[in-house]
Amino acid sequence: MVWFGKRVWTGVVAAVGLFACPVAGLSGPTVASLNVCTDQLAMLLAEPGQLKSVSNLARDPTLSALHERARQYPANRGIAEEVLVAKPELVVTGTFSLHNTTSLLKRLGFAVEEFRYSQSVETIAADIRRMGRLLEQDAKAEAMASRFERELAGLEPLACARKPVALFYGARGVALGKGTLAHSAMLSAGFINMAAERGYEGVAAFPLELLVQNPPDLIILPTTTPGAPALADEILTHPVLKKLRTTVAGNLSRPARLSCGGPFTMQAIHELRTYAPSLPPCRKVPGS
Amino acid sequence: MSRLRLISMLAVLVIAACALSLLIGPAQIGPMDSIAALVAGGNEAAMVIMREIRLPRALLAVLIGFSLGVAGAALQGMLRNPLAEPGIIGVSASASLGAVLLFYTGLAGASLLALPAGALAGAAASVLILLAISATQASTITLVLAGVALASLAGAMTSLVLNLSPNPYASYEIIFWLLGSLKDRSVDHVWLVIPLMLLGWAALWASSRTLDALSLGEEGASGLGANIPRARAMVVCGVALCVGAGTAVSGAIGFIGLIVPHLVRPLTNRLPSQLLLPAGLGGAALLTFADIVARTVIPERELNVGVVTALIGAPFFLWLVIRSRRELF
Repeated sequence: MVWFGKRVWTGVVAAVGLFACPVAGLSGPTVASLNVCTDQLAMLLAEPGQLKSVSNLARDPTLSALHERARQYPANRGIAEEVLVAKPELVVTGTFSLHNTTSLLKRLGFAVEEFRYSQSVETIAADIRRMGRLLEQDAKAEAMASRFERELAGLEPLACARKPVALFYGARGVALGKGTLAHSAMLSAGFINMAAERGYEGVAAFPLELLVQNPPDLIILPTTTPGAPALADEILTHPVLKKLRTTVAGNLSRPARLSCGGPFTMQAIHELRTYAPSLPPCRKVPGS
Repeated sequence: MSRLRLISMLAVLVIAACALSLLIGPAQIGPMDSIAALVAGGNEAAMVIMREIRLPRALLAVLIGFSLGVAGAALQGMLRNPLAEPGIIGVSASASLGAVLLFYTGLAGASLLALPAGALAGAAASVLILLAISATQASTITLVLAGVALASLAGAMTSLVLNLSPNPYASYEIIFWLLGSLKDRSVDHVWLVIPLMLLGWAALWASSRTLDALSLGEEGASGLGANIPRARAMVVCGVALCVGAGTAVSGAIGFIGLIVPHLVRPLTNRLPSQLLLPAGLGGAALLTFADIVARTVIPERELNVGVVTALIGAPFFLWLVIRSRRELF
């Protein structure tokens, strides 16, 4: 109960002193994050010293849009023992991962907050606000969330004769279909997701033949892992892909911006939109 | 059955399998349109699908199936062992290990040439180990047990290397290297394997007369003036080239080299030299059909072709063993 009392007390202070100058010491609870998606929201919102550790996946450039920043924090491997030693006042994690760790930590009396695996652009602002509430950084979170909402609402339809068709095509020949964050980002950017149109859900194997039969206007290919070859990447050099003459091939500078939802997801949406002027349905015909 | 008749029947089977393989795919293209796109051109999308996706796949199934069939027949002849087969005695698994070691560690960059180089080395090493074992311990069972041990060791090492790779996809590829697949291979792969396989077939062909003599036993063969060490070297090189090249692009595919020689042997005069070509054609037809099954049995979800060859191969072989215990070889 001592812990509970302290939590309420800091909460009251934060509520009362929301617009006052922060006093010495932390204004919110200390936090450990065990999931690569909560890691990134926590890093963006926590004040210095508040975030005790992030998961080691947060340092992985293929999964984390903030992998450089993650190096400033101690890394955990998502193991309950590490949390026991660090004794944070709050643990944030995803519902998607580490079920056993989560229930163990709850049984040991830790306050554990689970975030669902963010699957659409529309849930990002709410997740930011929730993380802000938990870290008692509401003002910062509100500013970030409302900015994201404003930018999302302000996205104009692409200036094209028809909506361009795009496809996220990845290693091993998989496409990102309905229900993925990438799908919703693609729709927000003003594209049609070819995989979703064809009825594919989640991350699903997409036959090369279908790609050839109805080529999309834009195909977003992954960036490969340097120095660690895998046959998975072979599909990206398949001669057939070079024969798609009406298709523009592109990639995202940070594909991880679409692995987890966050304010950075907006940058991926803008990056997708930069391809639009070069796509067949959007090209300006001179004189028309 | 006359040899010519057997060979032409098997050739017809290979052509039929190949034609069926070309007509199957997720893009619904009618049979007439498919043939038109393949030979004449026309609709560009259909042409790319036929020539760049389906044709390489069908050709690779034929080439790899042929190689496995021939290699199985030659190994059975040389080792005078009815259970000798690239899959069972660990040649395919060792070829996988060689390819994986050279490719995933990044030693050869991301070059695709690392795959056949490593696979050839792995296959050759395993055949040499098996030869050394069969030289000191001539028993059929010893050789097979040694081969089984080699196969599981190579499989375990393959998994280990892939698990240790920093590439997140590498561990998914364990199943490819252990069970084989012809999914999304390209024309590049066909060009990669053809010269190696031609050399391998030639080497096995060159050894075939000595293999005939060897069926009388080593002393009998020497008495006939056969150059046994030379024939051994030819078989080692031939099997390494055939199985190595195939494994480099399709992963390890089992049972083809085991079943097919047994299936066609009763239709020949049982001399190894007469068996090589029919076994090759039979292997080509079987692998092409297996690949069709792997693609069609569960719609929209492709199986690994090695799963199909094992599902067809293992029970069939058991039945074969039970039916003709005495006349197995």
